[in-house]
Amino acid sequence: MPEPRVIDGRGMEPPEPLELAVAELGKLAPGEELVMLLHCEPLPLYFVLDRNGYGYRSELRADGTNEIHIHKI
Amino acid sequence: MQPALSFEQAPPISVPYRFFLTAPLFGVVAGLLLALLGPAALESRWAPGALAMTHLIVVDFMLQVMCGALLQFVAVVAGANIWRPRLVATLVHPLITAGAVLLASAFLLEQQVLFLLAALTFAVSLGLFLTVMAMSLLRTPARGMSIYVLRLAVLGLLVTVVLGVILASTLGMHENLQSVWSLLTLINVHVAWGLGGWALMLVIGVSFLVVPMFQLTPAYPVWLTRLVPAGLLLVLCLWSLQLLPGLAGAQAWQSAVASVGILLAGLYAAVTLWLQSKRRRRQADVTLVFWRGAMLALLAVAASWLALEALPQLGSHARAPLWLGVLALPGVFLSVIIGMLYKIMPFLNWLHLQRLGGMATPPPNMKQMIPESAMRGQMRLHFAALLLLLAAVLWPALATPAGLAFSASCLWLEWNLVGAARVYARFRDKIRAAASVASTS
Repeated sequence: MPEPRVIDGRGMEPPEPLELAVAELGKLAPGEELVMLLHCEPLPLYFVLDRNGYGYRSELRADGTNEIHIHKI
Repeated sequence: MQPALSFEQAPPISVPYRFFLTAPLFGVVAGLLLALLGPAALESRWAPGALAMTHLIVVDFMLQVMCGALLQFVAVVAGANIWRPRLVATLVHPLITAGAVLLASAFLLEQQVLFLLAALTFAVSLGLFLTVMAMSLLRTPARGMSIYVLRLAVLGLLVTVVLGVILASTLGMHENLQSVWSLLTLINVHVAWGLGGWALMLVIGVSFLVVPMFQLTPAYPVWLTRLVPAGLLLVLCLWSLQLLPGLAGAQAWQSAVASVGILLAGLYAAVTLWLQSKRRRRQADVTLVFWRGAMLALLAVAASWLALEALPQLGSHARAPLWLGVLALPGVFLSVIIGMLYKIMPFLNWLHLQRLGGMATPPPNMKQMIPESAMRGQMRLHFAALLLLLAAVLWPALATPAGLAFSASCLWLEWNLVGAARVYARFRDKIRAAASVASTS
């Protein structure tokens, strides 16, 4: 299993994490995972993922960080 | 619980953009009017020029943007279905534009028929807008403090419009409603609901969502999100009691009620500034600086109000309300509005282009939609114009340079926003061209 690509967007001002994520999605190989770390629920990103054939699951860490795992369907 | 953002509900981009691109033009007109009329426009709040400029700003600038933004925001944030957004925008946008021009002309030319036409235009256009908004906001399943405060803001607009239509009709028929209400009482209540119940309530409701999200601040304290909107509503209801017979002249309690409302507004501004000082990122973008400027102006409104109450000689000066008006309109509300436009338009561009182009034709970077240097330059001019306008209240001889500076700032804003709309149009055409090449090959 390849190492997941990680975008730590916790110190970034929206919409920078969204733009970085969309740029990374195109490079995602089948089976590869993109992990995003954010302080909020990235609802515009979910909209982009739903429309373009990507799956995701999000987990809320104890420190309030949202960890979103994204993969190509 | 924060409401979910629902981008599938977003109306076509032309719905909000027609409002956003029209609004600054009326700021240009208001500034030119001040430059043209000179010190006469700043004699008192009752000067025809002051009344015309005020309504050009509150209706044709502020209300335009707020209507466009609400049509977008309510659909996306409240997940509410807005009835025929394109049709509503097509009807409401030209009518409120015309209504404010009629009203401003009525004040300047003192023509009764223009007041009546303005009243009719606002009753139809804003009646439709309010009905559509109220239906959407009451039916949405979304919950949360922002939705609750947005509902209060729409109620605030309703009361403002009803009183405004009564006022314009009264002036149009040249009959004073002295037997029921004095004109001054009606104006007092109309202004309070317009600025406190509509404009400030809307800023508060939006800020509960966007300040933590876009400015990376901690969330607003729960006690504040409960106290300020409910407190403001209570203050406005008590303030409106002066419409009841026998209570119009009771100055002491009116002054106490108004001071409580002003203190609530000041508290909200202070907490917002405190949250912004706790943000997780040090770098300040243009939107943040506009918000900070607006909150400082709101604190200045509160401090000035209390000082004018404490010093009756100063408080009774004919230009004292103009000082408060300049701080509140260009200072608080236009600063927030311009700051938000610089955030909303690049984001809407990006979102709609992403939806059109998918992963095949990625939209340009959001930072390229409006050049940072152009936004910063315009922001400096906006705050410089604000200081000049305040100086012109103190020394009316400065009215012409202040008006020209304000006009130039609004023109620069328009240029920046048109630039963003052109970036959208250029990339939309590029995506369509790529799609048609792909379909023919």
